[in-house]
Amino acid sequence: MIQAQSFLKVADNTGARKIMCIRVLGGRKKYANVGDVFIGVVKDAAPNMPVKKSDVVRAVVVRTRKGLQRENGITLRFEENAAVIVNAEDQPRGTRLFGPIARELRDRNFTKIISLAPEVL
Amino acid sequence: MRLETCWFCSSNIYPGRGVVFARNDGTIFRFCRSKCHNNFKMKRNPRKVKWTKAYRAARGKDLTNDTTFELERKRNRPERYNRDTMQKTLKAMERITEIRNQRESRFIANRLKERKRQEKLQARKQLDQEIHLIKSPAATETVASTSKAKLKTPIEKVRGREKMQE
Repeated sequence: MIQAQSFLKVADNTGARKIMCIRVLGGRKKYANVGDVFIGVVKDAAPNMPVKKSDVVRAVVVRTRKGLQRENGITLRFEENAAVIVNAEDQPRGTRLFGPIARELRDRNFTKIISLAPEVL
Repeated sequence: MRLETCWFCSSNIYPGRGVVFARNDGTIFRFCRSKCHNNFKMKRNPRKVKWTKAYRAARGKDLTNDTTFELERKRNRPERYNRDTMQKTLKAMERITEIRNQRESRFIANRLKERKRQEKLQARKQLDQEIHLIKSPAATETVASTSKAKLKTPIEKVRGREKMQE
């Protein structure tokens, strides 16, 4: 359940550490879950990296504490809310990803993220 | 579809039940219900929580090493469907669970045997030594004598009165 003002960890090496959601994309969507894209603002960033603090970026949710319900009845939950920063074509801006990532991203055509992920659950 | 075991209480997780939790290092924990998930969140050790299988196994309260448990082992090689083996397995499942239940109950009965024997001995000893707590010999004697005397007199009096009336 990611909504405006939610803080997420950034699970890639773009340099951003924390982003705050300011708008969930996709019609009148109130909350974002795994696979949803949102507009965020970088609240904390590592120095000398491409993404700076207070940059407005597009990002896709890859992990949520709320978790997701699968067709086969499994509820998959994660330790934290995390996102990956993407460009306008939904390609990840970083070159590495961290932590496990849900398989649902493949259905949303984030194949690049799936291939970069160290672990797909 | 696979029946998983709960990370906390080791019970079966049937499809559609429970929660799968993925830690950031990629480890997966499966829980059968929110009770187990909450206990995990409280960082409890299942070996120290009395109602879990792990606790009972660690303290020798349940049957652990038995050939009947071999049926429910995790096998990663999928079995090719065969009608005969399927039927045999279905039969065997019933029989093996029956045997397992018998063995488990026998194991527990054996475990409790010594304690039950001790309790019986204790009870017998108490019955021998502390019989006065239940009935005092002196009290019973006096009660008997007084009640007899009391009973006798009224009846005689009544009879006497009856004769007088006649």
